[in-house]
Amino acid sequence: MNGMEEKRMAADKIGIGMPIFEKLKILSDAAKYDVSCTSSGVDRQGDGTGIGNCHAAGICHSFAADGRCVSLLKILFTNECIFDCKYCVNRSSNDVERTSFTPDEVCTLTIEFYRRNYIEGLFLSSGILKSPNYTMELIYATLYKLRHTYHFQGYIHVKAIPGTDAELIRRIGFLADRMSVNLELPTAESLRLLAPHKTRKNILAPMRLVQNAMAENKQEVALYRNAPHFVPAGQSTQMIIGATPENDYQILNVAESLYQKFGLKRVFYSAYVSVNKDAALPVKYQEGAGGGPPLLREHRLYQADWLLRFYRFEAHELLDEKNPNFNVLLDPKCDWAIRHLEQFPVEVNKAGYEMLLRVPGVGVKSALRIVKARRMGNVKFEDLKRMGVVLKRAVYFLTCNGRMMYPSVKIDEDYITRNLLNVGERLPDSVTGLSYRQLSLFDDQNFTPRTLQNIVAG
Amino acid sequence: MRKVYLCGQTMNGIYSALYDAWKSSRDEEAGIAFTDTVEHQLFCEYVEVVEDRRKGVAVDKLIRDHLGEKAYWDIYHALLSEDAKRADAVFHVLQDARAVKDSKRIMEHLTNPAVGKVFELKRRVANEAHLFLEFIRFRELEGGVMFSEISPRNRVLTCFGDHFGNRFPLENWMIYDKTHKEALLHRARAPWILISGEELDEELTKRVTEREKEFACLWRGFFQAIAIEERRNPSCQRTHLPLHFRKDMLEFDDMGGVEVF
Ligand code: SF4
Repeated sequence: MNGMEEKRMAADKIGIGMPIFEKLKILSDAAKYDVSCTSSGVDRQGDGTGIGNCHAAGICHSFAADGRCVSLLKILFTNECIFDCKYCVNRSSNDVERTSFTPDEVCTLTIEFYRRNYIEGLFLSSGILKSPNYTMELIYATLYKLRHTYHFQGYIHVKAIPGTDAELIRRIGFLADRMSVNLELPTAESLRLLAPHKTRKNILAPMRLVQNAMAENKQEVALYRNAPHFVPAGQSTQMIIGATPENDYQILNVAESLYQKFGLKRVFYSAYVSVNKDAALPVKYQEGAGGGPPLLREHRLYQADWLLRFYRFEAHELLDEKNPNFNVLLDPKCDWAIRHLEQFPVEVNKAGYEMLLRVPGVGVKSALRIVKARRMGNVKFEDLKRMGVVLKRAVYFLTCNGRMMYPSVKIDEDYITRNLLNVGERLPDSVTGLSYRQLSLFDDQNFTPRTLQNIVAG
Repeated sequence: MRKVYLCGQTMNGIYSALYDAWKSSRDEEAGIAFTDTVEHQLFCEYVEVVEDRRKGVAVDKLIRDHLGEKAYWDIYHALLSEDAKRADAVFHVLQDARAVKDSKRIMEHLTNPAVGKVFELKRRVANEAHLFLEFIRFRELEGGVMFSEISPRNRVLTCFGDHFGNRFPLENWMIYDKTHKEALLHRARAPWILISGEELDEELTKRVTEREKEFACLWRGFFQAIAIEERRNPSCQRTHLPLHFRKDMLEFDDMGGVEVF
């Protein structure tokens, strides 16, 4: 019997004794704080010999009571953990009921849920049992079985545990569609404080590895069409917001460099939900101290993240040392525009695509429509509406053929701010609970939440 | 006198009407209406259409050849709606396509009323179909068939065939449309087919396997556990998952209030 096999047998034993209902309850409850649950990024048809396929836009299958999309069977392999991250329910110092799945249990749950169309696939994360390698071997065994014994061709998102051997990560990457390593906290300092067993270096190493392996794999696939694909849906990460004192500017800079330097598909932000009492954690969000998770802040970060990815903004344009936090009242795009009134108004029939993108009320699609339409003839205010521009915001920043829509509009900071605040922001069912699907800020009326989701999903 | 072609509400009926109307009236003012809903008007001549599959095949080819694949699917989806003017609008799109320079781009002429109508219908149908891809739930019946029942507004069943056929190639599955009393049927390793006009034995669809009860229960439990209490937000949940879908989704049937775990 080889080592692999032995470990599998050992793992099969862990679960004995507890009914699967109990296990699923514990291990899904423990996984729910992970916010990335999209099934997007890869298009793959089934080959007729198994079960499953993938859609690039991702598919939601239900919506939980918190309004979040349920797309994947999101579970931990085990909630045993040798680490003691202060913010986590599963930390070793917590006295909670512990359990682990067996690889076969995970496979059966995935397949049986999938064939009932409950889910798009599996999201498998884990606490650390014995060591990172030991745990990831178990996860490898699970995914291997799922792909090769159960012939599952649907979506798999797997979490990589920092400190796992490179070779193991590589093997797992060929079985998964998306891999992610959680950054956990925005700075190395916070990590030291709240996750004493993790280091920045440990977290970034597997991220880099995945990035490089993806690049190599691209070449292989270009050469041999049938070469296996390494995490075809790319990698993502998430940061906890509000557990540590970083400001929005720091966080946004971190996100930007993750996109630029690590080629991440998505950065997710997770408003800190207090689950433990600990001197190192902010009292404000702790149980009973009033004040829920910092949802508005999380929302602003998603908006800004969007500006980075689709609107060609850079972090330093949105915030800076002097203004390190987002405006509570205005979304980051309006806020930017008001601080740069010298660049407005913009002439619809002349302005470049990049500048149009920066106009509040103009979305990615409507900017494109404007550029196309003005080749055929002059664009007027009436046309803008049809193109999906939200005029009640855009009127302060646009001219058509040299004229503002209303002669009374003044390019004046106070005046515009007051009016924009009157218009009000369509906060996604706001801030009492952000839905990841309805990040419906960017003002394209022809965008349904659905199409937005496709974009969000990256 | 304006000719109005009368047909049944089925695809076959509509395609046959399109065939007749195209054959005899493509250069005149004409229209298509449904036999069961038509309101007769003065100064119109009504013509009963004889339904014939061969006419359908010819129209299918005509649309594909002249308007292209994309417009073909737009039209197909629009015809799955229940709108009383759907066949009429499609006929006018076919007529008007001849007047534009590139008939393959007819669907971009959104200012044309017929095109606008077809576009709007198609969008409605495609949206509903997409939602069902997400929200359809299968249950395992005693005979091993994976069974699902839905109550769609439009005749969306055929939109699911390729999706689930590719996804579950080795399963026997069936989706039953309670509104229109039609079923989409897939046998393992075979192409899907649409069945209409057959009564479904409701008793049989209630006999599920023991395993089915177990996994349904596991799913309900998972669904409850996955929500974060501190972020509870029913109105947001309702926006994404409107109430009328929930009656066919097991995670929302409250089991008489029994807590699963
Ligand atoms: S490693 Fe840290 S965050 Fe992960 S399960 Fe263990 S304690 Fe929780």
